[in-house]
Amino acid sequence: MATLRLDGIRKRYPNGMTALHGIDLSVADGELIVVVGPSGCGKSTLLRILAGLEPITAGELAINGRRVNELEPAARDIAMVFQNYALYPHMSVAGNMAYALKNRGTPKDEIRRRVANTAALLGLDDLLERRPRQLSGGQRQRVAMGRAIIREPQVFLFDEPLSNLDAKLRVQMRLEIRRLQKRLGITSVYVTHDQVEAMTLADRLVVMNGGHVEQCGTPMALYARPATRFVASFLGSPAMNFLPVTAHAGGVVLPNGAQVALPAILPEGDAATLGIRPEHLVEATASEEAAATLDVTVEMLEPLGADTLAYTRLPGVETWLVVRLDGAHAAREGQRLSLALPVAHCHVFDARGARVPMTGREDAEALAAQ
Amino acid sequence: MSAPFQHHRVTPWLLMAPQLAIVLVFFFWPSLQAIEQAFYVEDAFGLSREFAGLANFQAVLSDATYYQALGTTLVFSLAVALGAMSIALGLAVMADRVVRGARGYRTLLIWPYAVAPAVAGVLWLFLFDPTLGLVSGALGHLGIAWDHKLDGAQALALVIMASIWKQMSYNFVFFLAALQAVPKSLLEAAVIDRAGPWRRFWTITFPLLSPTAFFLLVMNCVYAFFETFGTIDTVTAGGPGGATTTLVYKVYQDGFVGQDMGASAAQSVLLMALVGGLTWVQFRYLERRVQY
Amino acid sequence: MRYRRPGLDWLSHGLLGLCCLLFGLPVWLAVTASTHTLGDLYSQTAPLGFGDAGLDNYRELLGGAVGGLGTDVTTLLVNSTLMALGIAVGKIAISVLAAYAIVFFAFPLRRLCFWLIFITLMLPVEVRILPTFEVVADLGLLDSYAGLILPLIASATATFLMRQFYLTVPPELVEAARIDGAGPWRFLRDILLPLSKTNFAALFVIMFLYGWNQYLWPLLITNDADYLTIVVSLKRLLTSADGLVPWHYVTATAVLAMLPPIGVILLMQRYFVKGLVDSEK
Repeated sequence: MATLRLDGIRKRYPNGMTALHGIDLSVADGELIVVVGPSGCGKSTLLRILAGLEPITAGELAINGRRVNELEPAARDIAMVFQNYALYPHMSVAGNMAYALKNRGTPKDEIRRRVANTAALLGLDDLLERRPRQLSGGQRQRVAMGRAIIREPQVFLFDEPLSNLDAKLRVQMRLEIRRLQKRLGITSVYVTHDQVEAMTLADRLVVMNGGHVEQCGTPMALYARPATRFVASFLGSPAMNFLPVTAHAGGVVLPNGAQVALPAILPEGDAATLGIRPEHLVEATASEEAAATLDVTVEMLEPLGADTLAYTRLPGVETWLVVRLDGAHAAREGQRLSLALPVAHCHVFDARGARVPMTGREDAEALAAQ
Repeated sequence: MSAPFQHHRVTPWLLMAPQLAIVLVFFFWPSLQAIEQAFYVEDAFGLSREFAGLANFQAVLSDATYYQALGTTLVFSLAVALGAMSIALGLAVMADRVVRGARGYRTLLIWPYAVAPAVAGVLWLFLFDPTLGLVSGALGHLGIAWDHKLDGAQALALVIMASIWKQMSYNFVFFLAALQAVPKSLLEAAVIDRAGPWRRFWTITFPLLSPTAFFLLVMNCVYAFFETFGTIDTVTAGGPGGATTTLVYKVYQDGFVGQDMGASAAQSVLLMALVGGLTWVQFRYLERRVQY
Repeated sequence: MRYRRPGLDWLSHGLLGLCCLLFGLPVWLAVTASTHTLGDLYSQTAPLGFGDAGLDNYRELLGGAVGGLGTDVTTLLVNSTLMALGIAVGKIAISVLAAYAIVFFAFPLRRLCFWLIFITLMLPVEVRILPTFEVVADLGLLDSYAGLILPLIASATATFLMRQFYLTVPPELVEAARIDGAGPWRFLRDILLPLSKTNFAALFVIMFLYGWNQYLWPLLITNDADYLTIVVSLKRLLTSADGLVPWHYVTATAVLAMLPPIGVILLMQRYFVKGLVDSEK
């Protein structure tokens, strides 16, 4: 049972590179936090700092309210699952799992019992005597999990544990990690660059970029109300459409002169970006209240089965506008579509990429963000 | 990679201690002494000595036999390096092309490396023994009188042959490994481009071998400089008339046989500079790989 | 496929076979000559076949002091073995520790230590032979096993190779061990050493050959025949007789001097080749 608190954590390497610019975060007991971001955003550094593998430059790290900045990794009572698993190649599966217990002087009987229990939990019973190189990727992954679980640590740390698996296995292990984590109720921090993994696993999501936390919250809250253009672009697949716009009384204006009526609070004439997700662009036949109606031409279709992605072009605008249509939609390439922009799903970002609040919607947003 | 163990003060020194102690006592102390000794003249009994500045170096550098040894060393080293490398390359290319049996040939060719230079010298001495040697006998039938105890050129040739014989297998191992590491897809692409075997070798394989070849050139020179001491001492003892006296052999002769410590030390220092230069060239080349 | 040319293949096999025979010839001659009596040898050119003496020459050499040697060849073989083993084991032992410190620890002067050790790669013992001799004499180590072994350990070849290997160990392995509660000594014992087994084998072969085949150093520091090595003894045998080289003894001793290292290299060929080729990287 553990809580985790990060207070202004900074990391600067001896070569002068600053990897983390003051991270604040608290993790509740039993919570699964997923840290997501592009490579180089500092998420791995953050995890290694939690593990005690990298010294902290400034700030405080506390587990259960106790400062652990100076503690060796082994003294922090954490367990870590590595991207390449880092199994000891010369030890059997049982030996790999038992190593940490042996180092702590756990009695032999106790070790045997816990190895057996953990193996049963992960379905590794028949593999205990094997060496890592005799195992498949998925099995190695389980052993790495087992090595972490057997310790019954305060905190689990996962460093992109599924990125070396093929797509199918990744989905399966994702579910399994979620199930185990809930069942054991151990506070966990999980680092990944895969936004699907992040969305599906997280109790709360931390999106990082350039050594900063961009936004933190439940996956759905971040998806629905991204605080920055970066978060908006990072979550969701296919990615959100972005259109360059200019602020205007009562809304924004597209490059082709089309007006979009939005209650966005922006000084007139400012450059901004309008964001809309592919699934939120609907055909204008619906009698819904629309901020604007856009006439586009379908240039390419990608049938995915359940959905079809339409790559469309708006006259006078350079970027694609991707639309998620129903799989049964009879669209053809070259066809013209009339699309409605639902006010509730429009996002406006200012020139620096920050979300522009909209009058009349902010109460709901504030509520959702909690 | 940054070092994983950051906060241990004593442990690394405990780990380093044995190696450092041995290196300091048996490497740095003698090396510094050699440098010091090179600037002193000692009397015949080693009882007193006085500072002589560069006199020892002047004596060495104005001695015709030193230049003879230098010339011998160059001829000897180049002959050994080029001989051992070209034979090894030829054999490795053939072993690589037959594919099946390459490892068998490696076994059949690798063992001379295990033979001590001095033993290699003895084996070749026996082949060329003027009275009962097999090869010297055969040469006699062809009208070539072989006596390396009198003929300096023959003595040098004999030492070179024995040295090549021993060193070839070392080069063979490296060339074979390098050849087997050439990506097959490159050669197949060349086949599609209608390049014959000869052309494939010179345009694709050989350029890929050049780093190995350069490494081996340096290693062979170092071998010829130092390790062949045993060969030279057993076969010719530097003779006749200094025809097989290399720089290293001269250091030994002047120091231990002639008891001229100052001259020997000065030669040591010159040799150190020479080898240091050679190694520096190698490190320059290895720089990309030898990262601290 | 045009890629293969059977004619060239046969030519290659032929040439390779011929070269293998040529390379074996000097050894074959030594083996056959060692089974002849001296009188037999001097009545003809070196014989390609075995003689009547059988193993008599070997028996005499191994059994008692022969010619100018002053000791029996059994002693020489023991000395050579002790020296080669001492050098191989000693080098591996100190280099494992030193390389471990250099790769896995951050400590002040690490860079200096690195260069102090690796500069020894530049100057083989032959260059500084005189002063080394004096140092060993000052330490009273002439005619001793320590004197034979220690100065030859003072080079960084093994340390360099171990370092190359340690650098390939994934950093996550160390990190996993640290999280599992292993300190530096435990990590060395439980993880690094077991993983280094093949490297030890490779290093052992290279260093055993290096030690066994040493010539100049043992020649200098052994006056006492009890500490003579077999490789050095050949020169004494060659020059001992009154102008007539005792080729039957010389060849037999040469064969005995070759057998252990050739045995080691052939038995451990796989490791040897790996260790050798790794040294280039």
